Amino acid sequence: MDAIRTENLTKKYALGWRRGKLLALERLNLRVREGEVYGLLGPNGSGKSTTLKLILGLITRTEGNAWIFDVPCDKVESRLRVGFLPENPYFYRYLTGAETLEFYGRLCEMKGAALRRRIDELLELVGLAKARDRRLAGYSKGMLQRIGLAQALMHDPQLLLLDEPTAGVDPIGSRDIRDLILRLKAMGKTVLLCSHLLAQVQDVCDRIGVLNLGQMILEGHVNTLISDQRRLSFTVQDLPADGRARVEEAVRAAGGRVVAVEHPQTTLESLFLDALRKDRRGMGHHD
Amino acid sequence: MRTKILAALVVVGPALLLAPVERRIQAERKHLKYGGIPVTRQVREVIGQGTAMALLAGFRGVVADFLWIQSQTFWEKREWLRQYRNIELVTLLQPQSVLFWDVGQWHMAWNIAYGARTDPANRTEAAGIKREREWQERAREFLQRGIENIPHRYNLYFAMGWLYWQKFSKWQPEAYARAAEYFGRALAFPDAPLSIGRLYAHALEKAGRKRDAYAYWKMLWENKNQPHQAWNVVEREVKRLENELKIPENERVFLPSRP
Amino acid sequence: MTERVGFSMGRVGTIAVNTFTESVRQKVYNILLIFALVAIASASFFAQFSFSEQLKFVKDFCLGALSVFGALIAIVGTAQMLPAELENRTLYTILAKPVRRFEFVLGKYLGSVLLICVSLLIMAVMFGGVLWFKEHKLVADALAGATGVPADELPQTIRQIRAEAFDSDLVKGALLIFVKLGLLAAVTLLVSTFSTSMVFNVAVTLMVFVAGHLRGPAAEMWAHRPVALALLAAVPDLGAFNVADDIIIGNVIPWRHVGLVAGYGLVRIVILVWAAHLIFSRREI
Repeated sequence: MDAIRTENLTKKYALGWRRGKLLALERLNLRVREGEVYGLLGPNGSGKSTTLKLILGLITRTEGNAWIFDVPCDKVESRLRVGFLPENPYFYRYLTGAETLEFYGRLCEMKGAALRRRIDELLELVGLAKARDRRLAGYSKGMLQRIGLAQALMHDPQLLLLDEPTAGVDPIGSRDIRDLILRLKAMGKTVLLCSHLLAQVQDVCDRIGVLNLGQMILEGHVNTLISDQRRLSFTVQDLPADGRARVEEAVRAAGGRVVAVEHPQTTLESLFLDALRKDRRGMGHHD
Repeated sequence: MRTKILAALVVVGPALLLAPVERRIQAERKHLKYGGIPVTRQVREVIGQGTAMALLAGFRGVVADFLWIQSQTFWEKREWLRQYRNIELVTLLQPQSVLFWDVGQWHMAWNIAYGARTDPANRTEAAGIKREREWQERAREFLQRGIENIPHRYNLYFAMGWLYWQKFSKWQPEAYARAAEYFGRALAFPDAPLSIGRLYAHALEKAGRKRDAYAYWKMLWENKNQPHQAWNVVEREVKRLENELKIPENERVFLPSRP
Repeated sequence: MTERVGFSMGRVGTIAVNTFTESVRQKVYNILLIFALVAIASASFFAQFSFSEQLKFVKDFCLGALSVFGALIAIVGTAQMLPAELENRTLYTILAKPVRRFEFVLGKYLGSVLLICVSLLIMAVMFGGVLWFKEHKLVADALAGATGVPADELPQTIRQIRAEAFDSDLVKGALLIFVKLGLLAAVTLLVSTFSTSMVFNVAVTLMVFVAGHLRGPAAEMWAHRPVALALLAAVPDLGAFNVADDIIIGNVIPWRHVGLVAGYGLVRIVILVWAAHLIFSRREI
């Protein structure tokens, strides 16, 4: 079953008196398979938010259809199996972390001991157990994103929609959130995420789709898309000084062309996180 | 846009159907004499737009209280006409308030009248007395209007009786008779204090109706359902009148005291 | 195969309690401190007046303040509810759950009503406390001979002080104030479903407040203009809820009339909440 399926999904916004209509999304045919992590990319105004809102029933479609696990999106039942983390959420500043989760849990008709257990579980999962009794007004951006993830997971949905989940979060927090997403994938959940941070999308997503001006212009598996099939990269170790010339010669003899020879690079992010890990005082922020 | 029109209809439609209910509420309010006088344009001119708005918003009592407290400062500055104007205004705003009519007439007939009589600006004593009596007459007329507004409670009838007894008795021959009449009207109400009954009897006697006074005192004595009655006073009056009227022994309540 | 999600009063209650908690923690209650000051002040001055006058002042000023502060809490509290939810993005997270839009609107409204109710109760308790102290003081003064009332009249005077201080009819006045505030909150709710500017919401409600009180004079002015009268009919007759003044001066108010006015208010509220739901359920967020 597809977690999300849209057919010719179209949205036109009326721009007010006699200013015509804005075509925010044009005939989108999207299929997100169960158990995959799908990245929805695109510049601002490309229709990403519109797509999410249409799927969640927050706005009504102009044409076409959308389903979540084969339930039409305009029915309230479709939201039983989806959890949503919006962009830049603030939540209720005056509730504590635990109270926030309790609120969302009750909205999903959870109660009593089951609710309390779930709250403890999720706070543990997102690493906020120590801050459970602090008001959200005192949370950092990273903590807000994490409590946001927790509320999205309250009713154990099969599908998660995440809008810019790591925006404004520091590298450690980002890494944690991405690890979380991978863990959710291992649990069999489906994730649709929108992000501008392309390096992070590359790390985590199985498939991506690129929207521009309301249309899907590119879609496919990440690895296939970003790998250059025409070229091969060998990573070699313990090669003596004169070995390099001999390898290059061998390639030329085989009919290939040496395009580049350089030392492989780690990522700046790995370097940063390793440095922090090695600092004996510990890793992390004053939480 | 269509939704907004629909919503507007949803609001206006049933509202039109509620019109009879609104009329019924307004009729009941009128019948129960709520809300005082309607805030017509004349009233708005007298008290100003801001105050008028406060009245309409339901702060009639507060506005009246402010005017009432202000009248007290006029009294302290001996600006009696201003004080009088405020008193009139207050009773215009809350004509159902016993308090304002009662205390208002008291100010006029007792305080202001006294102040007018003893005013050093008076050229002669006679002029002073004339002013005093004018204020007392003004008070009486004011209180009369009060009674017309609140005919269903004992308080203002009693106040009128007291006014006649205390003030008009000094210069009008009919005063005690009128006092008795008003005390009598006050007594028609079940919550009238017992002291009014005793005053009524006294007033009857002062008006020259000794027999009627005796009959009333006797009735009071025989009515044992009044635990708070001043029995010693009643007993004293019955005895006294029995002696003065030379009531025959077999009709007396108390046997005559032997010399 | 998929379960049906029915209307849940539990969800409404959750939203209502959450709305209430947020408002309380936002120090809405600082306003109530000002009320306390007004109440105490009204009872502390004016010693040169008779006990009847003093009690009237306390009751008028306290009920007036209760009305004003209650309206502030009702209108401003409700006006910022939906704009705040949008700004904090909490609206998205709530509606992304299996929550019906009607449950949300109703929950928000009931949260507002809860806020008004608790505020009124607190102010009423403070008011009662002030009256109690005032009554004690007045009785003590009377017993000490300060009022010049003769001894045999004292029990009656004291009974009168007590009766005027603790007039149970004041409850009826407070009840109608509560319904009126609920009505104002419903107006604000309706406006906030299509406008996200808090200032606009408050302004429109205040206009309705003024119009609602001007129905009497306006009706006489516009008797020959049916369109204007029809528009006026949309605005509730707020003057009908002002009975506190009359109760304080001793005018009798039967429960039947209270019931009629309260019922009228409730019908108006239902209409307004229904209209709010209509707009909100079709709203694109």
